[in-house]
Amino acid sequence: MIRSFLQRAPIRRLLVVFGVVAVIELITGPPGSNQYPTSGFTGSYSEAASFFGLFRTQRWVVFLALALVAWGIVELWTRYGATIRARGSSALAGPRQASEKRPVRVGFALALLVLGILLPHILNNAFWQSALVTYVAIYVLLAIGLNVVVGFAGLLDLGYVAFYAIGAYTTAWVTGALPTPPPFGHPLDAFWAIPFAVVFVVIAGVLLGAPTLRLRGDYLAIVTLGFGEIITIFANNLYGITGGATGTKQIPHPVFHVGPIKYSWGLAPVPYYYLALGSVVLFLVIFSLLQRSRVGRAWTAIREDEVAAESLGINPLKFKVMAFAVGAASAGFAGVITASADNFLFPSSFTLTFSINILVLVILGGMGSITGVVVGAIIIQVIQAYLNHTPPSGYQQPDLYIYVGALLITMMIFRPAGLIPSRQRRREINLYEKSHEGHLDEVLLGDDV
Amino acid sequence: MTADNVFDVEHVTLRFGGVVSLNDVSLYQRRGEILAVIGPNGAGKTSLFNSLTGVYQPQEGTITFHRADGRAMTIIGKKAHRVASAGVARTFQASRMFSALSAFDNVKIGAEDHRGFGVVGAMVRGPRTRHDDRRSDEKTVELLRFVGLADRANVLAASLSYGERRRLEIARGLATEPEVLLLDEPAAGTNPAEKLDLARLIRRVRDELGVTILLIEHDMKLVMSLAERLYVLNFGSVIAEGTPADIRTNPVVVEAYLGTSAEASA
Repeated sequence: MIRSFLQRAPIRRLLVVFGVVAVIELITGPPGSNQYPTSGFTGSYSEAASFFGLFRTQRWVVFLALALVAWGIVELWTRYGATIRARGSSALAGPRQASEKRPVRVGFALALLVLGILLPHILNNAFWQSALVTYVAIYVLLAIGLNVVVGFAGLLDLGYVAFYAIGAYTTAWVTGALPTPPPFGHPLDAFWAIPFAVVFVVIAGVLLGAPTLRLRGDYLAIVTLGFGEIITIFANNLYGITGGATGTKQIPHPVFHVGPIKYSWGLAPVPYYYLALGSVVLFLVIFSLLQRSRVGRAWTAIREDEVAAESLGINPLKFKVMAFAVGAASAGFAGVITASADNFLFPSSFTLTFSINILVLVILGGMGSITGVVVGAIIIQVIQAYLNHTPPSGYQQPDLYIYVGALLITMMIFRPAGLIPSRQRRREINLYEKSHEGHLDEVLLGDDV
Repeated sequence: MTADNVFDVEHVTLRFGGVVSLNDVSLYQRRGEILAVIGPNGAGKTSLFNSLTGVYQPQEGTITFHRADGRAMTIIGKKAHRVASAGVARTFQASRMFSALSAFDNVKIGAEDHRGFGVVGAMVRGPRTRHDDRRSDEKTVELLRFVGLADRANVLAASLSYGERRRLEIARGLATEPEVLLLDEPAAGTNPAEKLDLARLIRRVRDELGVTILLIEHDMKLVMSLAERLYVLNFGSVIAEGTPADIRTNPVVVEAYLGTSAEASA
């Protein structure tokens, strides 16, 4: 009797929602202490809280109410979700078709660019102006570069931070901020670090890629992880070259000086925002042109079936190294901008966690989809900036990983190809999943586009 | 060893650890010939294909590929993509399409030139790139029409039927403008009507495009009607060679396929 009641679908979903909410309650609850080790647990449920500002009560009441609301939404969605989705997709068919057209796409991109240019003036707020550079633009730049490696060529790179570090250290070297003498004997301007950085990261990409890209899958991931660590350890220990663990604090702001045109970047964040925005636009154009080119198609072929690609005369190693080098270029740019905007750099900022953060942006946004990766990076980074700037009570910076982790798990269940997936990637994932369930014909015949 | 041979395979031995996959195999193929390699499962047919295309590297022997322009190329020691660019195209036993791409894109990737490092050229889309692009588009359309898939150009490769996939794979191989096309069990998983179409297509590839065909096939009816000459492999060695009529009556071949009377009754 009780068992059959508990096995009814709505009841089961209610229990699941209760479970999830209980965990969320625990995560967001107060920390424990040495004196009262269980207070973190009991406090999570019984601490006093206000019921949405209406009356005072305990936390569990608030969360119980939230759980019931969430359950209601889940129930409504299971009942009417299919209809809503079908209606939505038929209503969106027109706009979607329009969005395929080239003038519409270009127009939309230009509108976004104008918004991007005006953004720092709309957000007339010192924190957000600098957050646009340090939290958003730099990460977008890094994410679209990693997307070339992971999304286009299908290579899992866990050491992407190395290229960013090389870009940053090149800036310090070129401007004479390191113990090593700068090139040509005298310090150059930070702006001229850009070509040096790009050349260096591309060389580093080729040097790392040529021997390691013969490896596949997990092996490649491990080797790239090692490369990332090696660069950090080098930076830390080669005291005479890199300045060791204390890094350097003397990187000057860039000055652009060609003929009569002279522009100096200073402490204000907005000019850096435009520098970063310019690089983002530059790389967006480069990467999307590449994706649609012969090279992009060769990457797709390798990602889908390396053996078949090779039988068509495609040299997998060459194209993988190319993906590595091209993807590294934007990280080099990002390194130059960060180093010259901050004026300082430390080896401890180039960690494995950093590489993984960038990878998370790519996965959440949608591997292989440039739009997806940009949108994903902006959303996550804006949320992070907001949480760091105005933390809700009880929020501490490391907590972010709990939420990002939960988001990642949820995404992998409901939208495995990412927020705005690339159509090809989504098909690949669908095909893979269905072929492992043995209902190949279902995906193939059902048109999900 | 005549100049009119496409392949000269001499004393090739391929081992995987202790397992001998090809044992002192010698064979040749004439230009313009439809040659078939048959044999029971595990006889080493696919290993031979992989050795001919640079996927496997045999430990002993030589494989020479004679190109139409008179140049010769040693295959052992070359990477698979080099062999492919030199003019040896192939299909796979379990067909390996780029499943998430359309039929058109599958063939187009084959039609494009993947040598050189033209990142910038590919990106900027100058007159040269656009011209190349248009040419590979034209070639793709032409080949899809040739194999009879013109109306399926925009369909995902994964949604094609087995027979269509086999034909698409042939079109993709032909897009690389090969001199020889190696077909690894092209009729596997197709129905009798599709088999007939396929046999006709393979003959047209040779007659109309002048591509030499090397074929592995289990379907005896297809092989006997299509091939002009056959090699029979068993346990990694060539046990017989000859015309279909010779092979059909060869006692050694019958034994390899059916076993001796003692084994058959066991």
